[in-house]
Amino acid sequence: MSTSVVRPAPRVTLKKALLTTLHYGVLIVLALLFLLPFYLIVRNGLATEQEITSPNWTFFPSALHFENIGELFSDSEVPFSDGMVNSALIAFLQTVGQILISLLAGYGLARVPYRYANQVFYTILLTLMIPSAVIYVPTYVVVSYLGWLSTLQGLVVPGIFSGFTTFLFRQFFLSFPRELEEAGRVDGLGYWGTFWRIVVPNSYGIIAALSVITFIQSWNAFLWPFVVGQDRTAWTVQVVLSNFLNAQVLNLHELFIGAAVAILPLMVLFFLLQRYIVEGYKQSGLKG
Amino acid sequence: MAHGSTQSRRHFLRYSASLALSGGLLAACAGTGGGGGSNSDLPALTHWYHQYGEKGTHEAVQRYAKQYTKAKVTVNWVPGTGNEYPDKVRTSLLGSNPPDVFELPNPTVDQVKAGLVVPLDDIISPVLNDFNENALKPLRINGKIYAIKMLNDMSMVYYRKGLFQKAGIEKEPQTIDELISAAKKLSNKDMKGLYIGSDGGIDALLYILGWAAGSEFLTEDNKITFVNERVAGAYEKLRELNASGGLLPDAPVFWWSSEPFKQGMCAMQWCGLWAMPEIQAALGDDFGVFPFPALDAQSKPAVGFGGWAEMISAKSKHIDAAKEYVKWLWIDNTDIQIDWNVGYGFHVPPRKSIAAKTDKLTKGLAAKAVEFLNAYGHSNTPYWDNAMQLALTDAVSNIVKHNADAMSELKKAADKCDKELQKLLS
Amino acid sequence: MSSPETPAAALMPSIGERESARRVRRSSIKTTLIFWSFVAPLMLGLILFFFVPIIWSIVLSFSEARAVILPTGFAGLRNYRDLLQDQQFTSSLLTFTIFAFFIVPTTFLCALGLALLVNSAKFAQGFFRSVFFLPTACSYVLASIVWKMSIFNGTRYGLANAILHLFNLDPVQWISSPNPPWYWLVLVTVRLWLQLGMYMIIFIAGLQEIPRELYEAALVDGAKRGWQTFWYITVPQLRNTSIAILLLNIIAAYQAFDEFWNIMSGGNQSLLRTPLMYLYNVALGSQDYGLGSAGAMILTIIIIFFTLLQGRLLGFGRSN
Repeated sequence: MSTSVVRPAPRVTLKKALLTTLHYGVLIVLALLFLLPFYLIVRNGLATEQEITSPNWTFFPSALHFENIGELFSDSEVPFSDGMVNSALIAFLQTVGQILISLLAGYGLARVPYRYANQVFYTILLTLMIPSAVIYVPTYVVVSYLGWLSTLQGLVVPGIFSGFTTFLFRQFFLSFPRELEEAGRVDGLGYWGTFWRIVVPNSYGIIAALSVITFIQSWNAFLWPFVVGQDRTAWTVQVVLSNFLNAQVLNLHELFIGAAVAILPLMVLFFLLQRYIVEGYKQSGLKG
Repeated sequence: MAHGSTQSRRHFLRYSASLALSGGLLAACAGTGGGGGSNSDLPALTHWYHQYGEKGTHEAVQRYAKQYTKAKVTVNWVPGTGNEYPDKVRTSLLGSNPPDVFELPNPTVDQVKAGLVVPLDDIISPVLNDFNENALKPLRINGKIYAIKMLNDMSMVYYRKGLFQKAGIEKEPQTIDELISAAKKLSNKDMKGLYIGSDGGIDALLYILGWAAGSEFLTEDNKITFVNERVAGAYEKLRELNASGGLLPDAPVFWWSSEPFKQGMCAMQWCGLWAMPEIQAALGDDFGVFPFPALDAQSKPAVGFGGWAEMISAKSKHIDAAKEYVKWLWIDNTDIQIDWNVGYGFHVPPRKSIAAKTDKLTKGLAAKAVEFLNAYGHSNTPYWDNAMQLALTDAVSNIVKHNADAMSELKKAADKCDKELQKLLS
Repeated sequence: MSSPETPAAALMPSIGERESARRVRRSSIKTTLIFWSFVAPLMLGLILFFFVPIIWSIVLSFSEARAVILPTGFAGLRNYRDLLQDQQFTSSLLTFTIFAFFIVPTTFLCALGLALLVNSAKFAQGFFRSVFFLPTACSYVLASIVWKMSIFNGTRYGLANAILHLFNLDPVQWISSPNPPWYWLVLVTVRLWLQLGMYMIIFIAGLQEIPRELYEAALVDGAKRGWQTFWYITVPQLRNTSIAILLLNIIAAYQAFDEFWNIMSGGNQSLLRTPLMYLYNVALGSQDYGLGSAGAMILTIIIIFFTLLQGRLLGFGRSN
């Protein structure tokens, strides 16, 4: 039964105004604090080497050296644009693959009344609890004997299977409004139908959120591409950036500007997807 | 989301993956560097280097590989710093496709026990005496040599001559106490006396202090010898140095970069020979070098002795060809050895006769550095491994930062080292 | 699975739960097939890329394996014993448990707080959401470098010290001095900066999932906007999301590595070592894969213990 709710007119406007100011004040201060490190990265990226390591560090550099960006792309030792392309390809494939597989598995775990669903869920959780930095060596050996070293599949496939994303999808689907699914059931849809026609279109929020997170994790991954990629053509952008962190010669300004440029695609992706995170339901909630 | 069936979606993914496979990455991996000519009768060798920072080093190694006509060598220039390159090498040795030739600071006992690397005595024995014994020590396991040294790194103390004069310090510190007082004298509100790293000097001077006290850590007959009053005293001196106010406690970079010294943040800095060219460029004549001073008159100064050595994987399909290649590079070819060592940064060629012929190292401060290396250089045997280093580092950290009792900390560390040693010897 | 996890007093009582339990008992082949049609791709991948390596690691943990990945001998419980008797390892575990007890609730509450603040902002919501989420895009290594070099370095001109200087205070060695252990401040702030945004977004997605009608119905029933609607509607509805975030936080705390490794570098590592750093040194540095695997198993058992504890106390999530 839907009735329009008549709420009393806001009584104490001063209190409300103060609270709102406080609310936004806190948000703005926090926002500035969160942005500070990014400022530092860009500042260091547009400075000279001396300015970064100097004891007389100033908040604003004396001049902005935009030529550092040019240097980044023209450094023959450092295939930066190739690295970006590789990262984009790998991250895209991993995100699509991972979201798809975890979406399916999460729904199955949450909604299909299989007798051993819990046990399966626990085994999946188990994969999260093993420190991956230690089991990556056996994983490497598996991949190497599969002949997948320095190949696209070697770089992409192991990262497609994620207990993390599956776990989050499962939790989300557990809270999904059953009424919508029942409506689908009434229309004669089975589990598959309900899933693709009703559940997924109403889950854009979580899908967008986890897609962004997965893409970022893939983009920022270092260890696996480093170990599996045997030569420069397989370098992702993180591996390329590690060129600047060498023991002999300091190249910090290139590192920072490279890092800043490498973060840009992630920012773009997030800006594009974030409205889905909010929109949540295409067909919102209960009606009548 | 589209309502198409998931089946077709998955097929699409597989399809596009294999498309990308046939182009892009995989094709590129099939043959890097050099047009794939009809070199099919030449053995193909993969050669891994860690990425040296100095400009020109990458081109140099590719040039050397091209110059070698008896095999088709593909160079892999691996980025990253610190542990990344050694980790990658060690992981690859376990997989199905390890590099044929690769460099590491030294082989480990475990690698040899597991049969992962090939002994290289046949290459090196004709010229064995031409190598400094301290260079060979870390490379020899059970009497066999498993790696050929490519370059020697050494580290020492750089100081500003002008500042020494101004502060009335007439000669270079001969004992640690003199170093501490010099550091204090040279400190003022704008600059500190000495920089040894942002961790209190533990990483830079871990072994140096023990050697400067006249002690070893693990002898060649596998005895742990660092638990004694002198070594304890030396580490206590580090504590004193930290408390003296003469140390630059932190800098944006670690001790192996000469920036703090060049930028005038400190009057003295522990740094390596590799930095000499850039220091010369920045400060001209206004600097000198000395080895880390002895604890007292009963022992001698000490300098660090590091570097990289070439090894061959036992799983290589062309071991003999690899051996010939390594021999050509690092035993026979004088020009390459000189070029590699001083053409891009400053290192000391491991063969003494070649070092003597290297012009850039026969004059001035570089020559002094080579003298220090020969007179005061120390190294550890391969039986001294990572776990032992970790135990010692923790002990020194406790001594220096937590004021723990030096002898008891050293004893604790020695116990752990002994347990580890037993594992290695078994 | 639709049956409740714990017998504890249900916040959301439902008769539907018992009915679905009955349906479960008639578990048919059809249900099995449907279940696996959803879950099989994930399981197959996990088997090849996780379970095979995990079982391999378990085998290694009971074996001698130095510089090799195939066991060269049977070691029984020796690797485990060596680790548990190693004061360097056990102290890293203890420090870490304390760290986890602190960081997990802090991250959880701060992320929830941010989510609520942002979700209820009437304008510029998109902007704030983006700003807080952006650090997730930054790699741990890069953030560690910025923290170590620019913000918390010990020179007079590091950002933090420059602020102290404004108040006429002496520069502090944030990272290398153990008394007092300021490095905790450095490590906790970098971790919060990197992680809060991600958890915040997940909370926001969870908040968005709550049907508006629940709130409106409550208001009709006389509930006041604010604390009451928060406690009686928002919190229970966020239960499933919260459980996930709590659990992931615990796991992440025990697997802390990157920022610790990069900030406490060189000799500073002796001041503070996470269990995973110790294992990294052991397994990869000393190439003792037997010992490293045993350590990984010990860590896993601890994580499982806390997970079960959480499960017992809060459940693993209920269907509505």
